[in-house]
Amino acid sequence: MSLWQYVTERWDRLSLQAWLHLSGVVQCTILAAIIGVAVGIAVYRSPAGSAVATALSSTVLTIPSFALLGLLIPIVGLGVTPSVIALTLYGLLPIVRNTIVGLAGVDPAVTDAAKGIGMSRTGVLSRVELRMAWPAILTGMRVSAQMLMGIAVIAAYAKGFGLGSEVFSGLTRAGSANSLNQALAGTLGVVILALLLDGVFVLISRLTIPKGVRD
Amino acid sequence: MTAVAEGFPGVSKTSAVERRPSVTSRSDRFRLFFQPIAVVVIVAAVVIWALSSELNANERETLNLPTIMTLLGQHILITIVVSLLVVAIAVPLGIALTRPALKWLAPVFLAIANIGQAAPALGVIVLFFLWSGIEGLWAVAIPLVFYTLLPVLRNTMVGIQQVDRSLIDAGRGIGMSAGGVLMRVELPLAVPLILAGLRTALVLAVGTATLAFFVNGGGLGELIDTGYKLQLNSVMYVGAVLAIGLALLVDWLGGMAERWLAPKGAEQ
Repeated sequence: MSLWQYVTERWDRLSLQAWLHLSGVVQCTILAAIIGVAVGIAVYRSPAGSAVATALSSTVLTIPSFALLGLLIPIVGLGVTPSVIALTLYGLLPIVRNTIVGLAGVDPAVTDAAKGIGMSRTGVLSRVELRMAWPAILTGMRVSAQMLMGIAVIAAYAKGFGLGSEVFSGLTRAGSANSLNQALAGTLGVVILALLLDGVFVLISRLTIPKGVRD
Repeated sequence: MTAVAEGFPGVSKTSAVERRPSVTSRSDRFRLFFQPIAVVVIVAAVVIWALSSELNANERETLNLPTIMTLLGQHILITIVVSLLVVAIAVPLGIALTRPALKWLAPVFLAIANIGQAAPALGVIVLFFLWSGIEGLWAVAIPLVFYTLLPVLRNTMVGIQQVDRSLIDAGRGIGMSAGGVLMRVELPLAVPLILAGLRTALVLAVGTATLAFFVNGGGLGELIDTGYKLQLNSVMYVGAVLAIGLALLVDWLGGMAERWLAPKGAEQ
C-alpha cells in the first residue's frame, strides 16, 4: 500500500491525531507564554535575576525530554498530565529568555520619555516596554512551538496525545504491513504541522508588529 | 543552547547578538560554575539512595553496577560517534559552501538541513530503523548525525561569513594564498562559533541518545523504559537522573571547550 493510500484510508484517525497534536502544542505554547512573560517581567530589572533565570532556562533545555518524562511519570502518572507539564516547561525557556532580552533591550531614552510625559510604571511596562519587546517575545513563542512539535512526539510515550502515537505504534508493529507507512504518516504530519504553525507565526508577526518596531 | 539563539529570525537575532556581553555571558559564567556542582550533587544523591534503599529482586536485576555501566557506556559511545561524525561532515561542508565556487549551493543545503531539523528526532530514528532494518549503535547514530548536523553546519558558515572582509583583503595583500587566508585568518576567527555549534550538537546528541533503546541501541533510556514497563519507579528515577546528569556534564564540557579552545583574540 502506498503512503497516499494509507493516509486517505485512515484520514479520520490521522486528522484527529494531527488536530490533537496541533492544539496541544498551541495550548502549551500559550500557557508557556503567559508564565514565561510573567517570569521575564519579574526578573528583567535585576541583572542577577536575569542571569539566574537565563542560566536556569538554558540548563533545563539541556535535559533530555525522555528523561524528564521518566521523572514525571512516577509523580503524575500517565496520560495528558505529564505531556502538558513537559511541553509547558520546555516551552517556557525560549520565551523567558527572549522576554528578558527584549525588555532589557528597550532604549532607556524611550522609557525615560514615557515617564517624562507622566506615564505610571505599569503604563510604561504595558504600553511601551512590552510592546517594544513583543517581536522578541513572539520569536520566543515561535521557537518554542517548533521545539514542542518534536517533543510532543516523545511525550506520546506516556499515553499522551497526537501524532507521536502513530510513530510509536508503527514502531511496535515493526515488520508488519503498514508499520513504515504509519510511522511515516506520523513523522511527515508533524513536519507539515510545524511548517504550517511557523507560517501562522510569520502572519501574526506581520499583523501585530508595528512598522516602526519592525526592522 | 546556542542553536535556539541562532535560530531567532529578525529582530531578536540582532538583539541577541548585541546583548551577548551583558545578560548571556553573565548567565554562561553562572552556568559553567553551578552546573557541574548540580551534576555531582544530584547523581551522588541518587546513587547513594539507590545503593542504600531496599531493592526487590526485580529492581536488583536492572539496578546493578555492571548493567548501569554498560548502558552508560553505550550512551556515551553514541554521543561521541555522533559528535565526531557531525564535526567530520559539517565543518568541511561548511567551509566548502562558503567558497566562492560553491556559494550558490549554500541556501539549498541550509534549507534541507532546516527541514531535517523540523522533523521530530524520534520520528527520524524510527523511520530509519523501519526502512533500513539496521539495529543498535548505527541505527541511532546515522539518523542522529543528520538531525544534529544543522547547528554545526550553520555556525561554520556564519562564522566564516562574518569575518571582516578587510581582514581577508589584508591577508591577500601581504601575499597569502586563498588557502592560507582560509587556514590562518578565516578559520581561526570562525572557531568560537564552530565550537558553539558543536556544543549544541553535543547536547542534542546526548539528549536524543536516550531514545536509542527504541531501536535496540541501548543507552540510559533503557532504564527509564524498563522502569516504565515493570512499574519500578526506582529504576525510572535512576535512569532519568543519570541521563540528565550526563547531559548537563556534556553541556558543561562543551561550555568549557567554547571557553578554552577559542583562539585568543577571537572570543565573541
